[in-house]
Formats: sequence, C-alpha cells, structure tokens
Amino acid sequence: MSGTTVPAESNETEAEPSVSAATGQEEIQRELSHEEYDPKGTLALILIYFAILMAMWVFMYFVEFLGNELVVVG
Amino acid sequence: MSTQTDQPSFVDRYPEEAAVVRRSLLVAFVMLGIGALMGLVQALHRTNVLRIIDSADYYTVLTAHGVFLAIVFTIFFLVGLYQWAVTRSLDRSPVDIRFTHAWATMMTVGSLMAGAAILLGFIDEVPVSADVLFTFYAPLQAHPIFYAGLAIFIVGTWMAGADWFRTWLAWRKDNPDERIPLQTFMVLTTMIMWYVATLGVAVEVLVFLLPWSLGLIDSVDPLLTRTLFWFFGHPVVYFWLMPAYLLWYTVMPKIAGGRLFSDPLARVVFILFVLLSTPVGIHHQYVDPGIAQGFKFIAMTNTMFLLLPSLLTAFTVVASIEHGARQRGGTGLFGWLTALPWRDPAFTGMALAGLLFAAGGFSGMVNAGMNINYLVHNTLWVPGHFHLTVGTAVALTFMAGTYWLWPQLTNREIYSRPIALAQVVMWFGGMALMSNAMHVAGLFGVPRRTAEPQYSFDFPALFGTIGELRLQIAVGGTLLFISTVLFLSNLAFSLGTPKREGFGQTIPPALSGPEDSPAVLDNMKLWAAIAVVLVVLAYALPLGAIISDNGLFGVGIEPYPMLVRPLFDWAGATLAGLAEVIA
Amino acid sequence: MHIHSYEKLWLGMALLLIVGFIGTITYGTVGAGVQMVDDSGGNVEPGNVSEHEEFGEPGVEKVGENEYDVHVVARQFVFNPGSEVYGAIEVPVNSTVNFYVTSADVIHGFSIAGTNANTMVIPGEVAEITIETEETGEYGIVCHEYCGEGHHNMEGLLRVVPEDEYNGSTQ
Ligand code: HEM
Ligand SMILES: [Cu+2]
Ligand SMILES: [Cu+2]
Repeated sequence: MSGTTVPAESNETEAEPSVSAATGQEEIQRELSHEEYDPKGTLALILIYFAILMAMWVFMYFVEFLGNELVVVG
Repeated sequence: MSTQTDQPSFVDRYPEEAAVVRRSLLVAFVMLGIGALMGLVQALHRTNVLRIIDSADYYTVLTAHGVFLAIVFTIFFLVGLYQWAVTRSLDRSPVDIRFTHAWATMMTVGSLMAGAAILLGFIDEVPVSADVLFTFYAPLQAHPIFYAGLAIFIVGTWMAGADWFRTWLAWRKDNPDERIPLQTFMVLTTMIMWYVATLGVAVEVLVFLLPWSLGLIDSVDPLLTRTLFWFFGHPVVYFWLMPAYLLWYTVMPKIAGGRLFSDPLARVVFILFVLLSTPVGIHHQYVDPGIAQGFKFIAMTNTMFLLLPSLLTAFTVVASIEHGARQRGGTGLFGWLTALPWRDPAFTGMALAGLLFAAGGFSGMVNAGMNINYLVHNTLWVPGHFHLTVGTAVALTFMAGTYWLWPQLTNREIYSRPIALAQVVMWFGGMALMSNAMHVAGLFGVPRRTAEPQYSFDFPALFGTIGELRLQIAVGGTLLFISTVLFLSNLAFSLGTPKREGFGQTIPPALSGPEDSPAVLDNMKLWAAIAVVLVVLAYALPLGAIISDNGLFGVGIEPYPMLVRPLFDWAGATLAGLAEVIA
Repeated sequence: MHIHSYEKLWLGMALLLIVGFIGTITYGTVGAGVQMVDDSGGNVEPGNVSEHEEFGEPGVEKVGENEYDVHVVARQFVFNPGSEVYGAIEVPVNSTVNFYVTSADVIHGFSIAGTNANTMVIPGEVAEITIETEETGEYGIVCHEYCGEGHHNMEGLLRVVPEDEYNGSTQ
C-alpha cells in the first residue's frame, strides 16, 4: 500500500485545508516567507504574559507566602 | 465537515498501522470515560454536594481516577499518536508489525491487571484491592497483581520505543544523509527521556514493591521507594506533555493555515527535555524529612531551567499560528487573532488548551519554588495545577487532535463539528472554574486527596467563600464530565458516518527548516549520554545518603496491606469456590 | 542556525525570569530565613516509637526561656498530641516552637491549616520544623497525605495562648 508515493513533507505551497475545518473556511490568501514575516503579535502577547508572571510571582512570594503565618525558620 | 483533498489518507496508505493507532486511541478513550466518571464522583463527594459512595471507598475511586487518566489514558494516546507520527514522517512501516502488536498487547494486559486490582477494591467479598493512589507510597501495600500489571505495562512501553528506534534505524540505512524528520525526532527524544526516567520506577517496583507484596522480602524503606517514585514521577509529566507538544508544533500550524516558525528551535526544546526532565524529581519532596536542604536546592535550580523549553515553546507555537493568521489575511497587532479558524474544533481545542497551560505554567512555577512550597504542598492547589497541565493542556489537546486525526485513520467524517466545538469550549469553561477554585481553596489550606475536607475547625477563609469554592468545583466538575460524554458519543457516532475518500493531510514544511540547524542536534547517543550523567550527578548523593541512613530495606517497617488476605489465600479460596460451583 | 531577533529577545527574558525566580528563593532562604525540613531530625524505628525517649511520651516540653519542643506521633488516624483523644497542642504566644513529628505506621502529613507550617511525616524519619508564634488563636492540624481509609478523620488542634494563660501541659 505504501507504494503510492506522496512526499511526507510536501513542499507544495497549495496546502489543503484541515480535515476538521468548518465548511467555507477562509482559504490562505497569501504566502509569507520567513523573511517577510515578523511575529509582532506574538511578541506583544508574550510580553504581556511576562508582565503577568512577574506581578503574580511577586504577589505570591512576598504577600501570600512570606506574609503568611507560621513561617518555618528552622 | 466536507473538506475534500486529493491526498490519500493515512489509512489508505498504512492500513495495518492505522489499525494499531485506532486501537490504542480506543483504549485511551475508554479509560478517559471511566476516569471522568470517577472525577465527577470526587468533585461532588468532596464538596459534599452528592455522596453516593462511602467515604472509605473514595480512595478506591481516586486511585482509579489517577491511574486510569494519568497513566493509562495519556500513555495509550501517546503510543497511538507516536505510531502514527513515526510511520507518517518516515513514510515507512515498522520493521515487523508483529512486534508492534506485541507491545500493544503487553500494555493492554498490564493495564487490565492493574485496573482489575483497583476496581476489585469496590467489592468487599473479593479480597483484592489497590487503594494506594497512583503514587503507591509504601508501606501502604497493594495486591501483587497491581505491581505486576504496572511492570508489564512499562515493559510494553519500552518495547514500543524499541520498535520506533528500529524503524528509524532501518530508514537511516536507506537515507544516510538526511536529517531526522521532526516528528520522528520528537518521538525518539521522548523515548530516550522515558528510558532514563522509568529506571526509577522499574527498580522501585521490581526490586522492592513486587517482591515485598509477595512476601519475599519483609520490609522496604518508605523514603527510598518514594524517592525512586519521584525519580520517575517528574519526567512522566513530560511524557504526557511531549505528545501534546508534538501536536502543537507540527499539527497546529497546519490547521491554522501557517507553517512552523522554527524547526531547529523545536529540536532544541526536545533536547532540553531529555536533559533536564529527570534530575529534578526531588522537587516533589521539598518538605520530606531525611533529605538535606542542599539537594533540594539543586533540584530547584534544575527545575527552574526546565521552564526554558516550555517558555520557548510558547513563543514558537504562537508565532506559527500568527503566521497562519496573517497568511489568511489577518492584520494588526492583535487583530490577526480574529483571522484564526475558531470554528475548527481541532484548532480551538488546542488553542484553549494552550491558554490554560499558560495559567498552569504559573502555578507550576510556584510549586517549583522550594520554600514557597510550604504554602501549597499537598493542598488542593496542587490538583488545581495539574488539571491545567495534564488535565487540560494534554487531555484537551489530545481530544482536539483526535478531531483532526480520526478521519485520517478511518476515512470517516467526525459525526458533528458543532458538538465538537461545544465540547472543547465546555472543557475549557469547566476546567477554568474547577481549577481556579481548587487553587484558591489550596491557599486557605484545604488538603487534597481527602474524602471529607470538613473538619471540626474552619479553614481561615473569608466568611462564606469556602462554600462558594465548593460549588464552583462541583459545577466545574459536572461541566467537565458532560464535555467528556459529548466527546465520547461524538466519536462513537463517527464510527457510523459513511466512508469516503479525501481525508489526506500533509504537513507543511517549517519556515526555518532543519537544514538551518547543526547536525549535532540529531546525535541521539550524545544526548542520551549527557542525560545519564546529569541524572547520576543529581541522584547519586541523595540516594546514597538515604541508603546509608536507613539501609536498602528500611528498619522495622511493617507493611500495611490494602487487601484483606494475601494472594495465595485468595487463589485457594477462589479455587475452592470454583470446585463447589462445578460439583 | 538563524534565530529571529524576537526569539533571541524572548530567550533572554526567559533566562532572566528563571534567574529571578532562583534569586527570590535564595533570598527567602538567606534573607528571610525560611529553612526547609531536612535530615536534621534523625531517624527513629516506627516499631520502637513507644520506647523512644521523646516519642515514648510525646508532648510539649519547655527547653529554654521562650522555647518549646513539641514531639508528635502520627498514626492511623490520629496525632498524639493534637487529636481530640489526646488533647490539643498548647503553646504560648511569642515563643519559638520546635516540632518533631514522626510516624508509627505509614506516611502521613502534618499541616497547620492555612499557615506555612507543613511537612511530610515518613516512617523511619523525624521531621523537624521550627516556627515562631506571633498571634494567639486556634489552628487546625490536618493530615494531608493519604494514609488509609480513615484518612479524612485525621485532624488535630494547635492552641496558641497568651503567656499568662499557659500552664505547661498538653490538654
Ligand atoms: C471529568 C473531568 C475531571 C474531573 C471532574 C476531575 C476531578 C478531580 C478531583 C476533584 C480531584 C481531586 C481529588 C482529591 O484530591 O481529593 C482529582 C484528582 C486527580 N485528577 Fe482529575 N478530574 C478530571 C479529569 C482529569 C484528567 C483528564 C486527568 C489526567 C489526564 C486527571 C488527573 C488527576 C490526577 C492525577 C489526580 C490526583 C489523584 C491523586 O491525588 O492520587 N483528572 N480530579
Ligand atoms: Cu515535578
Ligand atoms: Cu492521612
């Protein structure tokens, strides 16, 4: 059966849509190469995540933990 | 879902392999169903909303929930997914499919044995039980078939790994100069990690617990066996996570309409997992007596560096999705988010799973923080945390991935896409509710693993909030259960949708491909060797210290069997009973 | 291997985060003086707990000006002292309290609910934790590790009383 050769990693740009996609899902409109694409949105999201992590950590460590009763000192 | 493609599907090309994948997924989903029912019982019982079982039986339920979901469901899904990934990405069959069937059978037999030992705990007349929870800490003792079942199951996974390595070596002969395809790379690195990690539990079970449960040795050391458990217990977390990462790195960009941002970085991430997953297990023992603070500190620093691969993954995966959104016409700093295929349940499920993983990542950072562990250790915070990670990042990604994979394994469409979409959203909502309430209750000091956390004193919460938190846990748990039922029934109905052609899927190449990365990344022997060295460095001294304090088998430790009569009495009684029936 | 500049930035920030976490925790140990339970409590055979010098007669003992040792034996499904049958643990406020907890049977937990005092109790090992009492009040004690079918009944009480009400016995 495996004789029908389809390259596993096809370089063809016209990729077929996902089998689980909704009918009438938007097709790909343009091709973006590595050079043309800067993940600006990702950078923005991850910076927000970073800020949340820092704030939550400080709150958890210094308020919830060190501010809690019966700190174990020995 | 009537998307039509001209590619042959996986089952067209590899019917026998597709059958193995299907069967593994089916075992996984049966376990998911039973486990979710147990989860519902727990959520309602410990919040005092509905108590249909005796509180003493709660621990039988909890053992089943932990073992069936965290061990059997996750790992059966993994072997199914990895069999698909290796076959697909190397474009070749296993060297000998009979060996493939052999490991699938081993794993099934092992699960049935352990599962039977657990479930027989409900039947008082049968003196078999394994109410030891999925961590099976000695000197609580389960029936020998529980330990034997676990051992057989693990050996099955070792054989599965050997099968995939063999396939890869055969492929290597024919393709001496090619880079390892990314999916196969992920499978092989996962299995190297698994071989190193399971050494701990293999020694624990085969050298100590199984002989001890059979009465061959008198005593085992609780601290030593527990330390061996956690030698395995942390990396198993990555064994759950790495198949989810495989889906996020290779499948999610495809369904988002984009391409993986960086193949080399994905490889680096998996290598970091191989190196750092195991020498960290002591972070589960931050508040154990008998282990020096220095060892705990080392485990803590290693654990913190283990955050790196997951933080890198967050960037690469989101960037790959953003690429899809922009190719599909998305614009703006955040506007591209609306261009994502939110009506595709496979996409939405994985994206929501990733979102909750970001939250679970934070509570994990707190768990990892050595001294801050005093605040949360063994409170409800901890199950709150891992229901976001294994219970959602992994479980929901697996369910979402199934919506994409299943048609390719069967040539049948998923019965209903809208139900699938509702199902993943419901899991997200239910888990957000349940897990958030668990985290907060944990901060008030409510313990985990407890049938009735209503003590004669009050937890120091603001007035009334403990009651609200209970309600949120009960409602969240109910939504999760309904979501599981929707998933399973949708899949069951999909067994009957008409067969047709056109479910083939290709995975587009990465934007920055493997040719950009140094070849040393593909040197499996090198990474395996370094991983072993790191484990020796992290564990030789602590294990040595425990053994020099307590000896190998502990001093004066009595077993506390969770069964009424030992195996041989039981076998005798069963035979006598049988004889009576026949006579 | 060309890595996008944003990815390099994120790699740097991720490392910063990790180093920041390790730094905070080191501060907690060195600056705030939080100490982990370790191997300083020594070992005791679970079968011999009742003959042990301290654990044979567990309870509160004054060992210094404002310092008290509390020996506690955990067994299925009680704390001695702490649980109702043995009486609550009572210590005065503004004192240093050293808990020594061991198990006579299986693994248990010892957690003073809602506070940072929290340790595993492992047969064969003695968990030693020191706390300072700063406020009077009653605290629940829970066993937070599954120890058998009566696990959810395993609880106790710690009473921190004003100095002048403290009468030096367990009740
Ligand atoms: C229907 C969905 C689920 C519900 C309602 C649910 C509910 C719960 C609850 C309430 C607990 C805490 C019990 C306690 O500590 O007393 C728990 C524990 C646990 N859950 Fe779930 N859960 C669900 C799904 C999952 C999934 C999908 C996984 C993993 C794949 C999972 C893994 C675990 C594990 C490992 C434990 C800890 C068991 C132990 O402490 O020994 N759960 N679950
Ligand atoms: Cu861990
Ligand atoms: Cu207990």
